[in-house]
Amino acid sequence: MAVDLQQADASSVLEARRIHNQKLARQHDQTRATWFPLVVLGVLLALPLLQLTGNYNYLLHLVLFTASYAVMASGWNIIGGFAGYISLGHAVFFAIGGYFSGVLLARYGISSLLTAPLAGLVAAICGYLVGLITLKVRGPSFIISSIALLMIARILFDHWGFIGGANGMSLPVTDLPVQTAKLPYYYAFVLMAAFTVWATYRIKHSKFGLGLRALSKDEVKAESAGINTRFYKVLAFALSAFFVGMSGAVWGEYLTYLRPNIFLIILVSANLVLMCILGGKGTIAGPVVGAILIVAFNEIFVATLGASEINILATGFVMVLGLMFFPNGVIGTLARKGKLPRVLNWD
Amino acid sequence: MTDILQILILGLALGGVIALMGSGLSLVFGVMRIVNLAHPSLIICGAYVSYWAFKLWGLDPIATLPIAALIMAAIGVLLYRLMFESQAKSARYSEMTVLLTFALAMIVEGFLGAAFTNTQRVTSPEYATDAFFIGSLFIPKGQLYAGCVSLAIIGALTLFLNYSRLGYAIRATTQNREAAELLGVNVNLISMIAFAIGIGLAGAAGSLVSFVFSFFPAKQWEWIAMLMSVVVLGGMGSVLGTVVAALLLSVIAAFVGAWVGATWSTMTFFLALFVILLIRPQGLFGEKPELA
Repeated sequence: MAVDLQQADASSVLEARRIHNQKLARQHDQTRATWFPLVVLGVLLALPLLQLTGNYNYLLHLVLFTASYAVMASGWNIIGGFAGYISLGHAVFFAIGGYFSGVLLARYGISSLLTAPLAGLVAAICGYLVGLITLKVRGPSFIISSIALLMIARILFDHWGFIGGANGMSLPVTDLPVQTAKLPYYYAFVLMAAFTVWATYRIKHSKFGLGLRALSKDEVKAESAGINTRFYKVLAFALSAFFVGMSGAVWGEYLTYLRPNIFLIILVSANLVLMCILGGKGTIAGPVVGAILIVAFNEIFVATLGASEINILATGFVMVLGLMFFPNGVIGTLARKGKLPRVLNWD
Repeated sequence: MTDILQILILGLALGGVIALMGSGLSLVFGVMRIVNLAHPSLIICGAYVSYWAFKLWGLDPIATLPIAALIMAAIGVLLYRLMFESQAKSARYSEMTVLLTFALAMIVEGFLGAAFTNTQRVTSPEYATDAFFIGSLFIPKGQLYAGCVSLAIIGALTLFLNYSRLGYAIRATTQNREAAELLGVNVNLISMIAFAIGIGLAGAAGSLVSFVFSFFPAKQWEWIAMLMSVVVLGGMGSVLGTVVAALLLSVIAAFVGAWVGATWSTMTFFLALFVILLIRPQGLFGEKPELA
């Protein structure tokens, strides 16, 4: 369809672009397999029914754990995958979310499940303020500054008496019976994961997401194309902090205690990076696939080898092998070869 | 007044050691553009070499310094061959190498933790707890010796870089990789040698660290941020800058530790890193970094 540019009004230009894009897209990409994530979600929502037939708490814990990491890894993906700023300091927002909701729970008895979005918001505000400073530099300098952020936060949390310092604080234990004790957190994490995947999809396909991808390729060109790169990347940083903080809030109540050496360790940040890289940075399904892989690896290593040092060692090895042989991750590598199954093409 | 002088002396002595810890990092960044996050974990490796030599055979840590340096240099060659050589053509080189070194740091930490547990270690030769007294000033011998040995090694390194043929080649590669290659420098070989020297310096620093600080495998994260602030302030890739920055920051940290509180003295380094990145990302002696 040819459009006469002289007379074309906006709608016909858009129409022409739509038709042009449709020609470019391969046939099977046009019909998205939306049913697949929905089916997965349905199965996960129905999974607790197993509790009627026996004790499947370990299985629920695994799904919950994976979902919590899927939330955080997808959140990290916004700044690390879309905008290309690798942050190793996201454990800070995990801790901020956890502690914010934890303090509310311990002092006023308000459940973290209700305050989680608020905790995410607080983490996002902190992320915005930190981002204004650290996002001035990029590449290796940014990575270093994010580690410094983690170290600063660790010292502050270790010495802040109000939140228990290095000893942390314990939260009230749920009084639900064993069969249903995990269910509130299970549903919270599964729903949060679904929301996060949907949100990252919307972000990636918005003008904002397009801007982020542009600035990850070349910041100067993006700036000269009229993108407010500073605002875009700081906002992306804040958004990713939001999801990580939200996850931290629920995780704190689930764990029933908060302690800097659980929340503020570099292993948490490293896991997020690792999941995104193994799964496929900048894709929607990547972080979820990565979370499943890493949690499975961790469980196997812990079950067979035990000690946490071995766990660190194994995480490092998986990361090296992943980086060296699959720098684009599972989803990215498959997509480049044109062999990505339709059910995993969530982009 | 004596107080101030005392703090100054302690700060300078520690600064010498920190300068040696940072110089290898700076050299590797200069030549290869790798931000080696595994550097502190390799320093801890070197510290363990000296620790066990002291513990098992009673060897002095300063005497085992060359052994630790050589062992670590050999490991450096191995690491370069296995991990970094193939990355040279990677499109996202700086990001990839940072993540690789980060993973390497985790591997080393996990390995050392599994092999030697995470308990605090320190070698205790006699001089580590002894001190010279000049009037009312006291100078701890351990820190003084470590600082002097560090500065001697850095002096030797500077002489080597400035006056030997290999040093010329290393500096040429630092300044401009392509041009150096055009003039007949085997850039790949030079990179390997520089990387090995950098890791060897980490081993040497480890021997000194073993009696100046107490160490354990997970200590590396604290040191990463500390060394990074030193290297960033000095200007990435400038060994002279690293020395100046290390002395400056550790003197400031010593004053903060004495007047504000010991916990805040490590904080000095981390906050300094933030401030430097904010005000002058290229550091004191660095060139303006390219936007990439």
